[in-house]
Amino acid sequence: MLNSTILSYITFVYFGAFFFYLCMMIMGKSAFGKVATLFCLIGFVGQALAIGLRWYESYKLGIGHAPFSNMYESLIFFSWTIILLYLIIEWRTKNKTLGVFVSPLAFLALAYASFSPSINSRIQPLVPALKSNWLISHVITCFFGYAAFGISFGLSLMYLIKRMGGDRPQNAFLKLLPTAGILDDLNYQVVVIGFLMLTLGIITGSVWAHSAWGSYWSWDPKETWSLITWLVYALVLHSRMVRGWRGKRMAFLCIVGFCCVLFTYFGVNYLAGLHSYAKS
Amino acid sequence: MNNDTKKPNILWRSFRSVRLTIVLLILIAIASVLGTFIPQREEALEFAHRLDPDTLRLFHALGLFDMYHSAWFRILVGLLALNLVICSIDRFPGAWRRFSARPRPDRSKVFHDIPEDQRLEVITSSESVLETVRTIIASKYKRVTKKTSPPATFFYAEKGRFSHFGVYIVHLSVLIIIVGALIGSFYGFEAYVNILEGEKVGSAMIRGRMLPVALGFSVRCDDFSVSFYDNGTPKEYRSDLTFFENGKKVKSAVVRVNHPAKFRGIIFYQSSYGTIPGDSAMIRLVRRASKPEVRSVNAGSNKEIPLPHGEGTFVVLEIKDNFMNMGPAVLIKVKPKQGDQIRFWVFQHHERISRQFPGIFDRFPKLNPSAFKPYTFLLEGIESKYYTGLQVSKDPGVPVVWAGFFLIVAGLFITFFTSHRRLWIKVLQQDGKSEISVAGMANKNPVGLEREIHELLGELKASLGERKNA
Ligand code: HEM
Repeated sequence: MLNSTILSYITFVYFGAFFFYLCMMIMGKSAFGKVATLFCLIGFVGQALAIGLRWYESYKLGIGHAPFSNMYESLIFFSWTIILLYLIIEWRTKNKTLGVFVSPLAFLALAYASFSPSINSRIQPLVPALKSNWLISHVITCFFGYAAFGISFGLSLMYLIKRMGGDRPQNAFLKLLPTAGILDDLNYQVVVIGFLMLTLGIITGSVWAHSAWGSYWSWDPKETWSLITWLVYALVLHSRMVRGWRGKRMAFLCIVGFCCVLFTYFGVNYLAGLHSYAKS
Repeated sequence: MNNDTKKPNILWRSFRSVRLTIVLLILIAIASVLGTFIPQREEALEFAHRLDPDTLRLFHALGLFDMYHSAWFRILVGLLALNLVICSIDRFPGAWRRFSARPRPDRSKVFHDIPEDQRLEVITSSESVLETVRTIIASKYKRVTKKTSPPATFFYAEKGRFSHFGVYIVHLSVLIIIVGALIGSFYGFEAYVNILEGEKVGSAMIRGRMLPVALGFSVRCDDFSVSFYDNGTPKEYRSDLTFFENGKKVKSAVVRVNHPAKFRGIIFYQSSYGTIPGDSAMIRLVRRASKPEVRSVNAGSNKEIPLPHGEGTFVVLEIKDNFMNMGPAVLIKVKPKQGDQIRFWVFQHHERISRQFPGIFDRFPKLNPSAFKPYTFLLEGIESKYYTGLQVSKDPGVPVVWAGFFLIVAGLFITFFTSHRRLWIKVLQQDGKSEISVAGMANKNPVGLEREIHELLGELKASLGERKNA
C-alpha cells in the first residue's frame, strides 16, 4: 500500500534529522540544527499525511477503521507523537539539543515497524473486541503518555551526561546542553504530561475492558505492566518531595520508567505465552 | 516538620512520611512484576507441576500463585492507603490555611528583593492612577483587595486558591478506587456459563473456584451466530438472550462483544462460543433398484423412520462428531419387516475413508453403509449446535471505581495545571509621581507567574505611560 511505502521513506527522514542534530552537537554549528528541524518537520507532516491516507485506504478496502489497531499502526503513531511533542518543546524552549536524543527514538520505532519481518504492515479488519470507541481514546492517550516518557528518557540522559561533564565542560557537545537545573525542571514538566496521559490511558483501557470482557481489571500482564509503569512515575513525582531526591535519582528513575514503558509495549508479548488471556 | 514535637507518636510520624510512600510504591511495583512472571491462577497449575515439592510448598505458602489476591499484597496496598490517609490528615490543615488565609495587602517583605523590572514610575500622582491599576488587575484576578496607608496604597489580588486541594483530590480518588475494588471483591462475583441454543440456565460457575452461583432468574439463549470477514477472521459474535423471572419472560437482549447486556445488576458479556453435535443428522437414502432413489431424511435421535418402499424402519441411535478419528458418523439400526435387526455406522467422509483404507467397508459389516440391501445410507452431515460462552459478572463496586477515575483526572488537572497566584502591588504616591511595584508568589509554575507579571506591567505602562530613566 502507498501509505506504508511513504512511511518507510520517512524512516530515513528521521535518520537525517538525527544525523544533522548530531553534526550540530559535535561541531557546534547552529546551521545544522536548522536543517535537522526542517527534516523533523518534513517527516512529521509526511507522516501525518500517510496516517490519514492509511485511514482512507482502510475505508476503500471496506474495513474502515482508525489506524490504531495493531503493532505496526501503534509504532507509527508512537513515532509520530514523539516528534510532535518534541517539536512543541523545541519551539517553546528554543533549544535543539534534545533533538539528538529524541529523534533516534522516532527513527527506531519507524524502522522497526517498516523493516522488521515480524511486523505486518497490511491493513487488517478489526476483530470484534477492538470495535469500540474506547479503543481510539485509549490508544491516543497511552501513546501520548509513552511519547512523553520517551522524551523524559532523553532529557534524563542529557541530565546525567551534563552532570558527568562537570561544571566547566570543555567540549562543544557538553557546552551546548542546557544547565542541569533547566533539564531537571523540563523533565518534571514532561513527566507530568506523561503521567496524566498514562492515567487517562489506563482509565480508558479499563472502561473498555469492562465493556468488552466484563471486568475493568483482571491483572493480565499488559495491564499489570502499565500499572507498574504508573507506579514508577508516581514515584518520580513523589521523589521530588523528599530532600535530595531531585536530580540524579529522578533522572535514574525516569530511565527505569521508560524501560517499564518499553516492557509494557513489547516485552509483555513474550510473557503472553504463559497467559492465554493476554489480549494485546 | 516543625510540629514533630506536637505529635510525638512514632507511628503517626512514620505513616505521614513520603519516604514510606516511596518504599511502598517500590514494593508494590516489585510484587506486581513478580506476578507477571510467575503464572497466576488458572495458568499456575502446569507451572506448579514443574517445581520440586519444597519450592512448591514455599510458593503456595506465600500465595505466589494468586499473588494479587494474597494477604500480603493486600496488606501492602492497605499500608499505602493508611499512609495516604494519615499523610492527608496531617497536611490538610496546612492546605486549608493557605486556601482560606485572609488577604494581607500591606505586606512589605515581599517587595524586598523583587527584580528592578518589576517596578514602574509614572509622572503623576493623581487618583486616576490607582483606578487604572485596579481595573487592570481586576481584569486578570477576581479577588482584589485594597488598603491605603498614605503615602502608599496596596492592592492584593489572588486566584486559583483551589489549587491547594488538587493533590488531596488525587489522593482521595486513589482511596475511592481501592474502596471500589474492595466492594467488588466482597459483594461481586465473576462467573461464566455456556448455554446451548434453546437452553435455559439459572446459575453460573464462579471463575477459579468452580462453585455455582444462583442468578435469581433464568436466561435462555435463543440464538447464537458468528460471522467472518472474507479472510476468515471473525467479524462478530452475537447471542440473543431472553431473561425469565418466575417462569415469565421479562426481557430480551442481544449480546455482542463490547456490547454486554445487563439484567438485575448482573452483566452478561460475550466471551467465547463453541459447538457440540446436535441431535439430528441429515441422511440420504440411495435405493439400488432399476431407478436409484435419493431421499434426504432429517433423522431425530430414537425416532423410527419408515423406509421409502415399506421394507421396514430405521433409527439413528448415536451421533458422533468424530468417530474412531474418522470424522462425523451416525449409528443406524434398521428394523426390517421380517428378519433380524442390523446396526452399522455411516460415515460422512465415506469416499475419503475408503480411499485411505481400501476395502474397509466390505470387511467390517458394522461399518458398511450398504449392509441393508438394496439401500445405501449416506451421511450428509450432522447438525451441530452452537453454545454461547458468557462471562457473567456482578460488581457493585464499579460505579465507585468510575467515580474515583473521574475524580483522579479532575484532581490531576487541578494539581498540574492550576496554581494559587498571589500578587501584591504597591503604589507609592509622593512628589507628584507614582512608583508602582509588583510582587508575586505562586505555589507552582513560577515561570507562568513571571510571564503574567510582565504582561501586567506591560499593560500598566501602556495605559499610564512610563517615565524614562527614572
Ligand atoms: C498511588 C498512590 C498515589 C498517587 C497516584 C499520588 C499522586 C500524587 C500526585 C499526582 C501528586 C502531585 C505531584 C506534583 O505536584 O508534582 C502528589 C503529591 C503528593 N503526594 Fe501523592 N500520590 C499517591 C500516594 C501518596 C501517599 C501514600 C502519600 C503519603 C505520604 C503521598 C503524599 C504526597 C505528598 C506529600 C505530595 C505533595 C503535596 C504537595 O505538593 O503539597 N502520596 N501525589
